[in-house]
Amino acid sequence: MTAASIVQTRDLVETVVASFVAGVGVTAIYSAAIWGGARFVDLNRSGRPLAAGFAAALGIAALVGTAAAVTIGIVVMTHK
Amino acid sequence: MNSDLILVIVVVTALAFDFTNGFHDTANVVATTISTGAAAPQVAIGLASVLNFVGAFISISVAATVANDVVDAAVITPTIVFAGLIGAIAWNLVTWWVGLPSSSSHALIGGVVGSAVAAAGFDAVIAEGLVGKVLIPALVAPTVAFVVAGLSIGIVYRMVGRQRPGPVTRGFRYGQVVSGGLLALAHGTNDAQKTMGVITLALVANGTLGADADPPLWVIVSAATAIALGTYSGGWRIIRTTGTRIIKMDAAQGFSAQGAGAAVILASTHFGFPLSTTHVINGGVMGAGAGKRVSAVRWGVAGNIVFAWLLTLPAAAGIGAVAYGATRIFGTGALGPVLVALTTVALIAVAFSRRSQQAAPLPGGVGG
Repeated sequence: MTAASIVQTRDLVETVVASFVAGVGVTAIYSAAIWGGARFVDLNRSGRPLAAGFAAALGIAALVGTAAAVTIGIVVMTHK
Repeated sequence: MNSDLILVIVVVTALAFDFTNGFHDTANVVATTISTGAAAPQVAIGLASVLNFVGAFISISVAATVANDVVDAAVITPTIVFAGLIGAIAWNLVTWWVGLPSSSSHALIGGVVGSAVAAAGFDAVIAEGLVGKVLIPALVAPTVAFVVAGLSIGIVYRMVGRQRPGPVTRGFRYGQVVSGGLLALAHGTNDAQKTMGVITLALVANGTLGADADPPLWVIVSAATAIALGTYSGGWRIIRTTGTRIIKMDAAQGFSAQGAGAAVILASTHFGFPLSTTHVINGGVMGAGAGKRVSAVRWGVAGNIVFAWLLTLPAAAGIGAVAYGATRIFGTGALGPVLVALTTVALIAVAFSRRSQQAAPLPGGVGG
């Protein structure tokens, strides 16, 4: 009985890699959404509408990315 | 008649295990949400219950693999399943009593392995399955969750650490409601299926269903209901441990821990790697603490939790073996399971009545 016969190494490596990409990626994207929202408010208050608009756009894009990741998560669950 | 009575006892015991599973694992889903103030306790638990119920209907792919990969299906009888469930329930209640978040899945597997060994010897255990499907995932999953949560919180602090704390905290609290919901859904999908698998196994062993049959609708509905009711009952002792005793958590750490947990659970679901949600969430919580500052983790509490993880399989196996031996004292009929079930219910009633006399409320007036 070898380790390779007990564990499907490829599945294990794929699980670990996917966990890293999804976990770190989603947290980073959602952090970008929060950063965008917080910067939008601050920049707007300090009278810099262009920079505020850029921060808001980034925040919205990141929020959409997070929503897409959550949707993918639900699809993964429903297709197993 | 005798075998039908045993089957009814097995089904009721399996649903009782499912209830303790929900009750015991509520903390996995809601502890970080409650401890960071992302949602009020009853709201978080109510939402988790509903999503656990819904999650149970999403898929039945795990149901067949619960015991088949670990124990030789040819030796399984309803009495073995019954004794295994008694081992799992007993261990779940012991760890709830001391407030330790141990794995209900490992308790179930341990219980069934112990009762099968007591019935048919060590040849009944599929060693490759036990190592590959249980032990290695038990090492890998919490480690990955720990590292992912640790890296995530580092990135979060770098990205938003200089922003005003108010909007950042609010943002992560909203995020926690979503990540907590995803975890609850994944928990219902994973854990309710284990009970469905056990009931289906007993129905097959009794000859009620064919060997390759899927769980009938009444099994799916009853398992979903039992885990949702258990979740709604809330195991507050374990919620306290996971939510406040491992680390003092802020909203960003709560989100990182839940995000890491959801990512690991969904990735393993996708690639067909079974794991314990308890191990993953607690690994994530420890990682989110260590990622901020290693000394932020109360390593004594973390050590106790890991010790409980190590003890779960052998302890549940031991209780399962003793339960099987006790049923066999009274022969192969229904009398043994009936007496063991009644004794277990009596012991649980005594434990709960003592517990309710000693109950200390959580801050905010929630206790149990």
